[in-house]
Amino acid sequence: MSRATIYLALVVALLTMLFPLYYLVAGALSSAGGGTPGTDELLLSSPRWANFAEVWSVAGFPRAVLNSVLVACAVTLGNLVFALMTGYILARRRNRISRFWSVTLLAVMMMPVHVLIIPMFVEMRVLGWIDSYAALIVPFLVHPIAVLLMRQYIAALPTELEDAARVDGAGEMYIVFRIVAPLCKPAMAVVAIQVFLVNWNLFLFPFIFTTRPEMRTLPVALAFFQGYQEIDWPHLLAASTLATLPILAVFLAFQRQIISGLTAGALKE
Amino acid sequence: MKPLWRRPAVWLVAPWAISFVAFWLFPLGFALYLAFTSYSPLGGDLSFVGPQNFVRLWGDGDFWQAARNTLLFVGVTVPVTTALALGLALLLNSRIRGRGLFRAAFFFPSITSLVVVALVWTALYTRDGVLSSVAVALGFTPPEHGFLLSTSTALPAIMLLDVWAAVGYYMLLYLAALQALPAEYFESARLLAASRWQTLRFVIWPALRPMTLLVLVLNTIKSFQVFIEVYVMTRGGPLGSTRTLVYFVYNEGLVKFDMGYASAAAFALFALVAAVSLVLARRLGFGKEIAV
Repeated sequence: MSRATIYLALVVALLTMLFPLYYLVAGALSSAGGGTPGTDELLLSSPRWANFAEVWSVAGFPRAVLNSVLVACAVTLGNLVFALMTGYILARRRNRISRFWSVTLLAVMMMPVHVLIIPMFVEMRVLGWIDSYAALIVPFLVHPIAVLLMRQYIAALPTELEDAARVDGAGEMYIVFRIVAPLCKPAMAVVAIQVFLVNWNLFLFPFIFTTRPEMRTLPVALAFFQGYQEIDWPHLLAASTLATLPILAVFLAFQRQIISGLTAGALKE
Repeated sequence: MKPLWRRPAVWLVAPWAISFVAFWLFPLGFALYLAFTSYSPLGGDLSFVGPQNFVRLWGDGDFWQAARNTLLFVGVTVPVTTALALGLALLLNSRIRGRGLFRAAFFFPSITSLVVVALVWTALYTRDGVLSSVAVALGFTPPEHGFLLSTSTALPAIMLLDVWAAVGYYMLLYLAALQALPAEYFESARLLAASRWQTLRFVIWPALRPMTLLVLVLNTIKSFQVFIEVYVMTRGGPLGSTRTLVYFVYNEGLVKFDMGYASAAAFALFALVAAVSLVLARRLGFGKEIAV
């Protein structure tokens, strides 16, 4: 293939891949009334920026944003602490018990989660957690991918510092949080970004764990807006655009970490 | 020996151990138990019915339609996504300008919320939507009520969206694998005066085999579970033409509250996914690197 053919193929692919995203923004800026924005709106002849302001007065939208921010922050923070703890012990102890827990991490990652829909719903009901932040946060506090990433990173760190601290009489907890944690900053950045992205987009479990509109996270709220036709298409797309902005911001700022986080789990060393 | 609660290792592994038992192992066992009961949170009584739910599944036309749709969905999207991902990765692996931009643009859809993606494509697929206009401009007759309301186009429409949303991630995996290939591979291919096609067929493709298997496993597991798009775009319609297995489980269990029956359906799908991914995973040697 000549250079020109490669570029031609890439540009065609680029336009195809970008078009739906362009449509998302163009539709959000349109004034198409009730129907879906069509070809006329693609030209952005009269962008209607007010859509972005008006969407905040749609019932449930500000609360959904708040819920999503709260839940994503809590889950990200929890994963940072817990993945560090478990990742450390799985990296440093090489015995049968530790191997067992490492294997469960992989097994769970391969597991189709749909089989958990019904039992998790029943479990949350029995716990009285339906429509609570606990249901949106607690089950997601230890993401297997986060533990695997930390485990992999810590396993590659030299043990001298830990040994020295141990000789000085430091306990394991002190070693994890004061000696190992500062060395793990790059891995923790990857974990935080990864967990934030996954949690921000999480739909299935928040969807089945909530019945009251006040407890919906953004993806769930967006799905319900469309289902019940509570708002018109331009505003729905404006809300969708706003929901995508944090993802875009994180992506632009941390593209390298996102890519290394996604490929680390997949690539064998 | 120190008691368990005095050992730091126990405390350190506890977050995952508790999570695993409470939110994976217990629900999995509970689901298996439910599959043999007639549990409904409305009816109250939980009675053991043996394999009755599975017998009922066998004769349920809706279930078989869902199974057919899901297999069709997996059978089409997985090979197409994999081929396109490899193609894009190969294009991006050559020395070209603006590589970072292309890579970012191809990848971004796969970290966008699937709900947002489904909403955008719903709007694109309506009767007066952009894709109908495109179809008319190209000389085709689009479905009268939009692509999502015709039994012949609704499922392919969702497949197209899925490929668009997934291809970037697998492209990234392929790209990482391509960049990890030793330069000597290409050098010796060049010395043997291999054509581009020969290099691809006899050098790159065999070397990428482990990654291809991984992409197939990950994508197959994910595709078997297609739900969000179906829920947002069609609710399984029209006439069940986009009803998938996970949608069937959701509908029986959480809409009709027939939870024992829904669990049986979930396990039937679980067995299917486990069988397919075990076969693929064994060929890949997945899990070997962690068992040291």
